[in-house]
Amino acid sequence: MEIRIGHLYPDLLNLYGDRGNIQCMVKRCQWRGIEASVTEYQLEDPIDFSGLDIILLGGGSDREQAIVCEKLKTIREDFKAYVEDMGVVLAVCGGYQLLGHYYDTDQGRIEGLSLADLYTEQGSPRLISNIIIENEDFEMPFVGFENHGGRTYTGDLKPLGKVLFGCGNNGKDKKEGILYRNIVGTYLHGPLLPKNPHLCDYLLKNALMRKYGQAELSPLEDREEKEANLYIRKRFLERQ
Amino acid sequence: MKVRRLMAVWTAKIISAACRLSGRQGVTLAGKIALKIDPGILRDLSSQVREKIFVVCGTNGKTTTNNLLCSAVESEGKKVICNHTGSNMLSGVAAAFVLSAGISGRLDADYACIEIDEASTLRIFPHFKPDYMILTNLFRDQLDRYGEIDLTMKILSQAMAMAPEMKLILNGDDALSAYLAMESKNDFVTYGITEQVFHDQDSREIREGRFCKKCGAKLEYEFYHYSQLGRYRCPSCGFERPPIEYDAKNISMEHGLSFEVEGRSFHADYRGFYNIYNILAAYAGAREAGFALSRFSQVLESFNPQNGRMEQFSIDGTKIILNLAKNPAGFNQNISAVMEDPSEKDLIIVINDNAQDGTDISWLWDVDFERFLDPSVKSVTVSGIRCQDMRLRMKYVDIPSTLVEDVEKAIKDRIQHGCGNLYVLVNYTALYSTRNILAGMQER
Repeated sequence: MEIRIGHLYPDLLNLYGDRGNIQCMVKRCQWRGIEASVTEYQLEDPIDFSGLDIILLGGGSDREQAIVCEKLKTIREDFKAYVEDMGVVLAVCGGYQLLGHYYDTDQGRIEGLSLADLYTEQGSPRLISNIIIENEDFEMPFVGFENHGGRTYTGDLKPLGKVLFGCGNNGKDKKEGILYRNIVGTYLHGPLLPKNPHLCDYLLKNALMRKYGQAELSPLEDREEKEANLYIRKRFLERQ
Repeated sequence: MKVRRLMAVWTAKIISAACRLSGRQGVTLAGKIALKIDPGILRDLSSQVREKIFVVCGTNGKTTTNNLLCSAVESEGKKVICNHTGSNMLSGVAAAFVLSAGISGRLDADYACIEIDEASTLRIFPHFKPDYMILTNLFRDQLDRYGEIDLTMKILSQAMAMAPEMKLILNGDDALSAYLAMESKNDFVTYGITEQVFHDQDSREIREGRFCKKCGAKLEYEFYHYSQLGRYRCPSCGFERPPIEYDAKNISMEHGLSFEVEGRSFHADYRGFYNIYNILAAYAGAREAGFALSRFSQVLESFNPQNGRMEQFSIDGTKIILNLAKNPAGFNQNISAVMEDPSEKDLIIVINDNAQDGTDISWLWDVDFERFLDPSVKSVTVSGIRCQDMRLRMKYVDIPSTLVEDVEKAIKDRIQHGCGNLYVLVNYTALYSTRNILAGMQER
């Protein structure tokens, strides 16, 4: 079995330890004897979506996001077909915003991919905090760090989780991130996956299911992962 | 007014002394209270500096560069005020002046060498306009405090505009610093390294500002020194590395650091390629102020990097080197410096996430820790507030580590059971406490 990961534009979108998400996916494949390969795409590279099982779209500064946005227009149709075909996507911070219709900033509008029915508006101050969210379908809450000026509104989309501590999508509706088809979009970095191995495995499982029609992931010990996750919950939830 | 200044000076001195007695660093508090008692005190005292005021800014290397610059100027027989401890926000800078004032509330100094946190420049420059600003480099740092590196650049560019007479002394190998200088209306000179030093170029290292700040195109590099420092040009708009006035040549790192600049040979007994930049920056600064620097070799020889910048301790037969590592560029350079030492070694990595460290520790995942996968690395201990995250980070580069949250315990254990050669890498707020622990143990 093999998982092929495409990292989109790490030159521009790599602000919040996104490399950690890649390392986490690769290691958790390797530890189970699943092959994993990573292709980094630069702006000028063509992307063959049929050759990819997981796509990572990371975070960048607003300026860098605007550069990427121009490029995204040219791959939008292929990307949309990939998503509708249940292709797995992890989009973090800026990448999450780019999934939506647009991001309105004081420098103008950054057009998104319109892959998911959401939009973002710049707000002040930046929402900067450790963050803990909960989703009943997962055995353990997700923890991470958020740092975003944008307020994202996700309508009826299913959130990745309910905010227990921190701000989330927009600081108001207690929702964080989205789950749509096989997309996970979120403001959580820190990076996201190492302290949330169950979310990493969820992505891997979905990718294997789509590719091979079955996905049995052998369990890993995850002691360090769980303790690091628990530490954040203890520190910030027990204080409330 | 005069009474108020005296009050401020005396109170600050008492606070600082009291804190020192109780083993805490009272510099910032002393400055804060002095400013509260007399808001004009920093303006007054800084105007009493008889000759020039230097400030040192930049992500990494500020403290070492500033302390070295101070020693260089002192070697010319001048009296210098310096914020040696690296307290570099408004209160820390105020404290440096206030604590140097006599009990009469007057200052006796020819020069001031002051390192300033980039984000604090706009709050400090209303008090005084420096004559020179040394800009060491701009890397990704403490993201959650600054938002983004673009914001830091915006702040620095406003600061430069506030002090149009201030001459910039900058690292020409850093495209971000060079861009700032070229766009400013300030006079500037450059230092840098034109020859290629490293021949295996790791393309995965996170490099800030690989895109031209002027036009957005991808910069072309002839080579990198580390991070985004190197020889660059923009294929699209013609922006390129400026000519280098103070250029280090014939670099050797076999036994400490050796290089030539302006046809003179220098040698320093400490490790770390990045220290060449720190030395060059201090040298260029002092030269620009008109000093001949005939005793610069002796300055380097007697300069003991302090405050946990490659600072050495010896405790019960174990050699310990303490070094600050607070962001990916700095940490990667630290790893290089540690691995330049071929002998067996133990490592302790201390990571805190207090406000001054940056509460976001994602950057740990942008550091190339896999370079510690080497037989000479005998053990890795993780410590500090975020030791859990650090242990996890090491797990994902296949390096097992021992978790000892308490730093003192971790150090004691390695002194008792380690191989006698210990490196302690710490981020910002862990520095002072760790240094105290080591200094205390060394005295006993």
